[in-house]
Amino acid sequence: MNIKEIARRSGVSVATVSRVLNHPEKVAPSTKQRILEIMEELDYTPNWFARGLNFNRTNTIGLVIPHILNPGYMEIAKGVEDVAHQKEYTMLFCNVEGSVEKERKYVDDLIKRRIDGIVLVSSLLEDDDIQAIKDQGTPVVLVGENKGSIKGVPIVRIDCEGAAYKAVRHLIEIGYRDIAIICGFTPERENKRKVAGYMRALAEEGIPERKEYVQEAANTIEGGYIAAKRLIDLKQRPRAIFTTSDLLAFGAIDAMKDHGIKVPDEVAFVGFDNIRMSNLIDPKLTTVEKPLHKMGVVGARLLFDIIDSKGEENNYCREILLQSKLKIRKSCGHKERIGEIF
Amino acid sequence: MKTEFLGLKLKNPVIVSAGPWNRDGMGVRKGIAAGAGAVITETIVTDALLDVRPRIAYNGWGAQNIRLYSDIQVEGWQREMEIAKSKDGVIIASIWAHTPSELAYLAMKMEKFGADAIELGISSPMGENLEVVASDAERVFEMTKEVVSNVKIPVMAKLSQNATNIVKVAKAVKNAGGAGVSAINSIRCILGVDIDTMEPTLSTYGGYSGPPIRPLGLASVATIAQAVDIPIAGVGGIENYRNVLEYIMLGASAVEIGTAVMIHGFERITEIVRDLEQWADSKGIKEVKEIRGAALKNLKSFEEIKIEPVVSRIDSSACAAACEACMKACIYEAIKKENGAIIQDPEKCTGCGLCTFICPDKKFRLDW
Repeated sequence: MNIKEIARRSGVSVATVSRVLNHPEKVAPSTKQRILEIMEELDYTPNWFARGLNFNRTNTIGLVIPHILNPGYMEIAKGVEDVAHQKEYTMLFCNVEGSVEKERKYVDDLIKRRIDGIVLVSSLLEDDDIQAIKDQGTPVVLVGENKGSIKGVPIVRIDCEGAAYKAVRHLIEIGYRDIAIICGFTPERENKRKVAGYMRALAEEGIPERKEYVQEAANTIEGGYIAAKRLIDLKQRPRAIFTTSDLLAFGAIDAMKDHGIKVPDEVAFVGFDNIRMSNLIDPKLTTVEKPLHKMGVVGARLLFDIIDSKGEENNYCREILLQSKLKIRKSCGHKERIGEIF
Repeated sequence: MKTEFLGLKLKNPVIVSAGPWNRDGMGVRKGIAAGAGAVITETIVTDALLDVRPRIAYNGWGAQNIRLYSDIQVEGWQREMEIAKSKDGVIIASIWAHTPSELAYLAMKMEKFGADAIELGISSPMGENLEVVASDAERVFEMTKEVVSNVKIPVMAKLSQNATNIVKVAKAVKNAGGAGVSAINSIRCILGVDIDTMEPTLSTYGGYSGPPIRPLGLASVATIAQAVDIPIAGVGGIENYRNVLEYIMLGASAVEIGTAVMIHGFERITEIVRDLEQWADSKGIKEVKEIRGAALKNLKSFEEIKIEPVVSRIDSSACAAACEACMKACIYEAIKKENGAIIQDPEKCTGCGLCTFICPDKKFRLDW
């Protein structure tokens, strides 16, 4: 069913049907009514892609996320979607899974589909790739840092280094000194910053760096399990472990349970992200609260600022730094209840 | 009684404060319709969350509120602000965020939606941290500065009694380019404990508001007024026009009223504005600035207080109430009962003055 068929059945020109869709105020009410009724009868909906070509607007945005099975990215996605929905936009969802080629291809496809803008979450893309998206006129916003450190593109992020520093500082304040880190391979830049924060906290206390205490792994539950096994096998097992994501902590805690090691009595944990399940596992996970949903919301707002500004995007290049906060629960072995309340 | 506050001309100094009574555009309009000089929205945040239930408790004197922030997202406030601004009236947007860039972005949105001014709700005692942001002058400076440099409308910050030195914080607001401050926000509290169930009245710490915090608000306003040249809105426990005047005479250019609206309805705003106008007419006062800070000159240091040998004197008429309250309250045992009459012993009296406040008949006065 297309617009020609509607025109034929209504006994009007294609131009008149088009006007009903796009400028209904310019069509006589009785004609408009007749055409709308026929559209309804034939279950006709306009071809949005074609509309996009005509209006340079598809009311669709692309969301590119690192991993669809990581609930943290789902919370970010919901934040983006909540705003997009209010704006009457649809979202196309692209799942990268650690492959920069896949991410490039998705971005290319999104642009070909004439989406109105792209939100990239902790992107693997280099600065040049992102600059290219911008240069060819598609609004683009970063949620979390990309692989490089591009300037001139709106971004919402947290201070990963500072957040990791505070998390490790918390472990030191409880009294641990043998503190390991399990670091995900991705997102690369953000995790490097978390390792830097970890190192700074140790150095400040004069705790020597130990290579074997820095374990890299795929940023998944399985990755956490494997990295934890390597730590368990060490001659001097760490007394506390900081992980760069909650999923890694889940896997690592699972490994501890399988080896009969008590958490937090024998090994304490602090995670990163505060995904919803971190409050449900046993023991409840102490973790760095990354404002996931809020990051998505702000990212989407920054994108719509550009889309709605119709080309005056330079006024809307903002960098928004959101606060992360240590959520103290049970896995770190902290004893002061007041810390859990505030 | 007209006033100028934040560079805005208000028809009267009564502002409806931020709170759930101003949760949407219609709520804001109710305050305007009741006659308020301006209305502040409920505090708007980047990412609205669901409310907890229950969240408000009241013990007959003061209220505890654990409601956090507006449950309407920023996108929704565009619509609500249009409703709020559909007729005349000054609308101030209350906003709160955790970092300067986040706060400034919210402020820009509110400016775009048509707010006449911004109030930074930096002092909420609910959730957040053990230390409220408003206790940290440096953070307050950074936040205020970032907002001020991103909007053209005036910006004020709401300060807290939960600060070691409120003057430092008020100065930080001024140095950052803030147009004013409001003081004070509610104070972290637990309203009570049910001794049968052993449960606190509400399930977490909240903010205490209402008449019991008025003396704290008055002291904070006076302190700021004596130290910092910045317009002040007095907040805390205002129940009637007299309380409005107390704040003004201690240095406020305007006042904010919230809990009284929550407990007594928007009619209370109408009554306060009416009574205030009547009082001003009877005194021939046209503008707040004619009496602003008038009581500050009578606020003295210990050194300046002249110690006169006053003692309590009781008038000899019979007591209307057989309460003996004065006897119980006289810690110096200077009041006793002889042959059914209350007698005061000038030798024992040290002139503390408490009996003049205790006696329901006001039979005591200090004299020498």
